[in-house]
Formats: sequence, C-alpha cells, structure tokens
Amino acid sequence: MYRRKKDHKRGITYSLMLVGDSGTGKTTFANNLLEMGIFPHQYEIDAPKLAENSRVKVVKPTMVLSYNSKNGIPSHMAQFDASREHFEPGVTITSTSMEISTGQEPLPSRSSVSSDSSSTTQNGGISTDKIAFSLVKTYGLGENIDNTLCFNEITAFLEQQFDQVLGEETRIKRNPRFEDTRVHVALYFIPPTGHGLREMDVEMMKRLSRYTNVLPIISRADSFTKEELAKYKKQIMDDIERFNVPVYKFEVDPEEDDMETVEENQALAMLQPFAVMCSDERNENGQFVRHYPWGEVKVDDDSFSDLRILKNVLFGSHFQEFKDTTQNFLYENYRAEKLSSVSDWDVDKVGDTAADKRNSAAPSLSNFASLITTGQFKSSNSLAMPPRSDTPTTPNSKDINQGFDIESPALRQESQSIRLGNEEIINNIKNSPRSSAPGSPDKSKLRNISETVPYVLKHERIIAKQQKLEELEAQSARELQKRIHDLEKRAADLKLRERLLRQQHLNGSNASMRSRSSSIAQAAPVQSTLKKEESVTDLASIVSGRA
Amino acid sequence: MTSENIIVGVSNLPNQRFKIVSEQGGTFTLMVCGESGLGKTTFINTLFQTTLKHADPHQRRNQPIKRTVEIDVLRAILEEKNFSLRVNVIDTPGFGDNVNNNKSWQTIVDFIDEQHDSYMRQEQQPHRDVKFDLRVHAVLYFIRPTGHGLKPLDIETMKRISTRANLIPVIAKSDTLTAKELQEFKLRIRQVVEAQDIRIFTPPLDESESPDPAVMEHARQLIESMPFAVVGSETKFDNGQGTLVPARKYPWGIVEVENDNHCDFRKLRSLLLRTNLLDLILSTEELHYEAYRKLRLEGSGATDDQSVPVRAPARKLSHNPQFKEEENALKKYFTDQVKAEEQRFRQWEQNIVNERIRLNGDLEDVQTKVKKLEEQVRSLQLKRH
Repeated sequence: MYRRKKDHKRGITYSLMLVGDSGTGKTTFANNLLEMGIFPHQYEIDAPKLAENSRVKVVKPTMVLSYNSKNGIPSHMAQFDASREHFEPGVTITSTSMEISTGQEPLPSRSSVSSDSSSTTQNGGISTDKIAFSLVKTYGLGENIDNTLCFNEITAFLEQQFDQVLGEETRIKRNPRFEDTRVHVALYFIPPTGHGLREMDVEMMKRLSRYTNVLPIISRADSFTKEELAKYKKQIMDDIERFNVPVYKFEVDPEEDDMETVEENQALAMLQPFAVMCSDERNENGQFVRHYPWGEVKVDDDSFSDLRILKNVLFGSHFQEFKDTTQNFLYENYRAEKLSSVSDWDVDKVGDTAADKRNSAAPSLSNFASLITTGQFKSSNSLAMPPRSDTPTTPNSKDINQGFDIESPALRQESQSIRLGNEEIINNIKNSPRSSAPGSPDKSKLRNISETVPYVLKHERIIAKQQKLEELEAQSARELQKRIHDLEKRAADLKLRERLLRQQHLNGSNASMRSRSSSIAQAAPVQSTLKKEESVTDLASIVSGRA
Repeated sequence: MTSENIIVGVSNLPNQRFKIVSEQGGTFTLMVCGESGLGKTTFINTLFQTTLKHADPHQRRNQPIKRTVEIDVLRAILEEKNFSLRVNVIDTPGFGDNVNNNKSWQTIVDFIDEQHDSYMRQEQQPHRDVKFDLRVHAVLYFIRPTGHGLKPLDIETMKRISTRANLIPVIAKSDTLTAKELQEFKLRIRQVVEAQDIRIFTPPLDESESPDPAVMEHARQLIESMPFAVVGSETKFDNGQGTLVPARKYPWGIVEVENDNHCDFRKLRSLLLRTNLLDLILSTEELHYEAYRKLRLEGSGATDDQSVPVRAPARKLSHNPQFKEEENALKKYFTDQVKAEEQRFRQWEQNIVNERIRLNGDLEDVQTKVKKLEEQVRSLQLKRH
C-alpha cells in the first residue's frame, strides 16, 4: 500500500527497450507507439512530422547512455556519408525519458475508432495518471561485421541497471531520489527472413532474458502473406523451443487467475510472436498507414497486424505483470547470485577475474591457507594477501595515471577514494577475527554485506567504465592516427604531382631542347629529398587544423 | 555477269554462326549471394519460371545454428523455342547468418577465383577441347530492405566481388518499402557504390557507330533503375484482368512481379537474359578472366593491393580464415590458462618455501632455547654439586 502511494506521487516508472537489427523498424515503432514524431530516422536530422500528442511529454531528451565501437567513434547519429559507410558503426544505447498521462485509456488509440471498447476494459490495473516512461533504444546491432561487441555492451548495460538498484538497496543511507532504471520489457525485433531464427537472434534473446522480459516480435510483417506469416510464426516458436530461449510466455495459473485472464493469456500465447508493421505517417483520416502502389496498409488492422494488441499488452493488460516479474523474479535471482558471490569475498576478493574464480573452485590457495591456519594463523594472512589485493588494482591505477585525459579529475578522485575505502573495508573484514564455528558468522556477515556491497559494486562499475573509456580512447586515437596518415599521404601525393606539373611547365617554356623524359628523371631525386621535410609540416598543419 | 551480282557467301557467316550457336546452346552461370531470408531461392524460381530449386525448410532447419558459408551448385538446362541454355545457379547459404561475419565473404571470393583458375589450367592442357567451365558470369547481391543504407558487410563483400565478376546489386523483398522509402534507399546505395569504388555491371551504352535509339533508351533505363528492387513469387494470381500472373497476395493488395510500377523485376530479367546475356558472358571472358589470368601469369608479389587475387587459392580446408581465427583464439586461451596455472603453482611454491624458512627459523629458535635451557640446567647442576 505504501509503495503504491509512493508510486502515485512520483508516477510509475516503466521502461521499455527496443532491440533488433537496424532497419527492422524500431524507430518507426517508437514513433508509432507514442503517436508523436520523437525519433528521427537513420541519416535524418528531423523526426517525422506528426501532430503533437498531448498525453506524452518528453522530460529528458534522448541521451546516449553507453556506446562502443571498434574505431572508438560513436556513429548512431552520424549523417549519411557515402565514403564512410564501410566503417563499422559499433553499438549505441540511448534513453529518452517521458511522462505519459493515462486517463481512461492506456494510450489513446485515435486511429482505431472501431475497437476502443476492448482496450478500455482491460486497463483496470492502473489507477495512477502518470507513467514515468523511459524508452531505451539500441543502434547498430547487426550492422557490424562482428557483432559480439554489441552483445557485451547491451548485457553490460542491463547488468549495470541491476547493480545500481542492488547497490541502493543494500546501502545504509538510501538516496530518496534514486531512479530505478531497470528495463522491464525488451522487444526483440526479428528480421522477416521467413527461415526461423538466426544465431544472432537466439544469442541476443538468451542474453537479454537474464535481465528483462523478452517479447520476440516479427518486424516488418507486411512482407509476409497470410500463409507465410502463420508458417513463420510457427517456425519461430519451434526454434525458441529448440534452442531453449527463455522469452516471456503468457502463462496461466488456472487455480489463481480468473477465467477472463486465463482466456486472454491463452489467446496471447497463441498469437506470439507478435507480428507488427509500423508506420509513422497518417492518411487523411488520421490513421497510420503504409502507402504502396498496390494498396494501403492500415497498420492498426487487427486482421493482419498485432500492433494494437502489442500496445495493449505493453501498457494495459500486462503492465504490472512485467514490472512484477522484473522485480520479483529476474532481479531477485540476480541479487541472490550476486550477494552469494559477494559474501564469499572474505575468502576471495573481487570474484570477477577468471583467475580468482578458479582460486575459489580449484584445490588451491584456500586449502593451503586452511592448512596453515591449523599451524599458525598470523602467517597465513600475510601469505594469502599480497598477490590478490594488488594484482587487480595496480595495473589499473597505473593506466589511469598514464593515459587518461578525457576523464574528469573529479571522477578519478572519486574512484581513487572509493577504491581506498573499499580496500580498507575489505581488509577490515579479512583481518577481523574469523570465527570458524559455522553458526555465528551470519550476523556479522550480513552487516558486512550492507557495508561493502554498495561500495564494491560502485567500485567494479567505475573500474569497468574506466577500462572501457581507455579502450575507446585508444581506439579513437588509433583511428585518428590512421586518418592523419592517409591524409598526409594524399597531401604528399598531391604535392608531388603539382611539382611535377610545374616542372614540366617550366621545362617546356624555358629549355625546349631538353627532352621531357630526362627532365622528369632529373626532377625525381630532388623531390624525394624534399618530400620528407614537407610531409612533416603537412602533418603538423593537418593536426593543428583538426584541433 | 558482273561481279556485283555474285554472292560468294561471305555474308552468310552470321547465319552459320547462328546455326552453330543454336545447336551448341549456351552456358550461363549465375551466382546469388546475400543474407538468408532475402528470397534468393524464390527469385531464382521466379526468374526461370520453374521450380529449379526447392525451398526445403526441413533441411535448412536441421543444420546447426552456427554456420559456415557453403557453396551450392545447381545445374539445369532450359529450353525455349528449341534453343537450350545450360544454367548453373550457385547459391551461398549461410552467408551473413552468424554473429561474427568477419571474412565470411572469403568462401565466395575464393570460389570465383577457383573457377578462373581451373579454367586457366584446363586451357594450358594439351587436350583442351572439353572444358569444364563454371566461371561466374553474374553475381546478384541481395541487399536487405532496411531503408537505411548498406552495411559494412555488404560493402566489403561487394567490393571484393566486383573486382572478380559482374556484380549486380539487388534490393530484395522490395515490397516492404514504400515508393518514397525505396527512392531514398536506392539513392543512398548508389552514392555508396560510387564513393566506395564498387564496380557494378552496367549494360554497354554505345558500341556501334549508329546506335539504335530504342536500345539506347532501354540501356539508359536499366542504368537508371540500378540497384533493382525485386519481388519474387512462385504462385500465380489473377491480376484483375483475368490473366494469371506471378504475384504476392496481401490483404491490402496484390503485388505483381512483372508490373513495372511495383518492382524492377522485368528490368532485371531483361538485363540478365533478354538483352544483355551475351554482354555478361563476354565481359566475364574479356575483363575478369583476362585480368585474373594476367595477374597469375605475370607472377604475384608485384601488387600489394588486397582486392586482387595474388595467388592461386590453395585447396586446403585450413584455408578458411574463420577457422584460422578460431584456432588462434583457442591457442591463446590455452596458453593463457597454462600461464595462469603456472603462476599459481609458482606462488604456491613460493609460499611453501617461505613457510619452510619460517619453520626452520622457529626450529632454530627452539633449538637455541633448548640449548640455553640445557646450559642453565648444567650450570644449576654444577652449582648444586
């Protein structure tokens, strides 16, 4: 009850993530969902023009949360440049926060005049009038030649959201204005191949489903005829079964749920995966349509598009359900896993690196340590400590001191202090007399958890961030170097050509008895000596010009 | 009799030629290339108006999910008005299906090179009347209808193909793009093709002194509508005027494959078969094969350009660079593991040594203490006596 009241005041947070190959219509879907032109299409600056939607208010404009790419340059917003197209765009994750006021209907479906009644009946679950909605979009997935990068980035992003909540939960003093940024639903857009799932789809959905509810969606369903679509849906469901992809299934509990819910869920389960076609253009009647030379597709038509049903599921019937599973099931699992690994830390510090993991599992130092503790305790402490606490941190701090320019000193300081504090706490735990009796340590362990976890998580996050930034920095530096090199070469080429031309011109006018070929032959060695000098100045000028 | 009236028969050569050609028939090798699910098989069947290739979902789906690029060759003889054309269709299933598609173009590129190479070897044989010729005359590259632009994978692959064979880019499943989207998409692709130096096949414009305006116009049209947006279908529907045409039937309308307002299928077919089949075959012979031959015979090493074949592809399984990469990764993983373990053991050893030193020290201490005590005992005993 308390929770609901709090929610009411601040609005319910709800976040939706759109994942899928580029060109499967994520942007169009987002615009269509909000009935507002918010997101510009790829290579376009302006979002499509649509009438303002009074129920949706953008609170925070789109911002980049995280990105990664091989050349260190984010490119999701880049303008179309034909000569740059062969660069891999990497992956970018952006988020847009907005406020949606829900009145009678979850979302105004102005376009579907005929079937409003069904949607109004189904949203009894929401009593608030405001949803703090954040829409997380991913760019560049599937556009790279090697897409493993995208996977790691997206999973890391999702995990980070969980970590933040976990850190907040375990903290002694909590931040009252903490924002929960966990993603409740991820829509995975399956490209309309007609051949079942690809390796990428399976892999991505599997990874996503550890952190959020995944709804597979057939994008651009207007490329299928009715029979093909039915077949494709079946193939996808078969593949999901075959590869054990844990997507969100509309399961029913006949004991608890009432008849209506059971029926509804069963119907939805039959429909899955939803096949949607999207448009952000309206016709003169205000309906969203796709214009083809052979006809006009009304994307809200239930007879071939599940778009309206999907919207209803997202904002109506399963709104609370998605939130609950994220909180009670996915997050709880994650929390249990994380905390049990954290509480092992008094033996084994940051359980992240592979070596450390093996340490705890293999018959190794820990055994050895226990062997020694039977002899004498003090020496075991000094034996076990040095290699572990030093190795993960020292190279990092060195790197940071050496090659970090973009990062603000404030962040560095913060991380430094956190790291120090963190180590201190860990040392305290380690040095505190460990009672060997199995019954008593629980209490102190609990306290330790609440003391350490937020810091350790934060610490981990900062280290990861630093590493990533470093990497990006190095990559972009390399990329720049390469481009400078190219430019330099081109400039030198041009200079050479110009010189040759001038020489020829001079020779032609001054001394016509000299044959052309000999002049070129003579000119060549002079140029090669000059060239080196010039290229250096060229480089300098280019660099200064860039800066 | 004046000499003007005598017909020696020289002018009959074209007819003789015609006879030879129509008896021998022709060979046409077409390669289709592109990610799976873009309608390559359907397109082939639509193009030749028969079910050349069965889309077999069962076979396709029983394969493991991680796939390597394969080469499928399909041979068929097409007869039309007593003229038979031997058609080889080469499919490349598995291309672009994986998470990491690095070097997945290599199989395709190697295949094209290999055909040139084998043809060249056969030419060098003493008996060379029967030649096994599978040189690729045209490559259709299918582009996913994203409406954005070309992907790096597309660009890389097209670049490599375009130096070896006649490349014709095709926008697959174009019935998911509205007219406006299609126009923009085509424009972007054309720009990229131009900026990235991808040489696509264009019908020759002006070869004779008296160009036929109709032919010229046709060729111009073809060039203008590159890359062709196609729709494929194996089923026929009534087009409203009582004739059955290959089409796709949607709830919102019927997309006719052979309707120029709906897609460029007819133009592409004209380019591939009706008007420019000979151009495709000849340019393969004269341009791409000659280029390859020249490079091979001139000896390699002179060029450091990646885009041209430097040496004959070795026919080895380990040639596939994807395997190589995997192997390297595995090797690295293995050495890392070994190193880590070694490190651990060294640490352990160190600890044991330290411990022993400490124990030895303790022992010495104890021994000295014992000695001292003994000393004391002895002195006490002495005192007592």
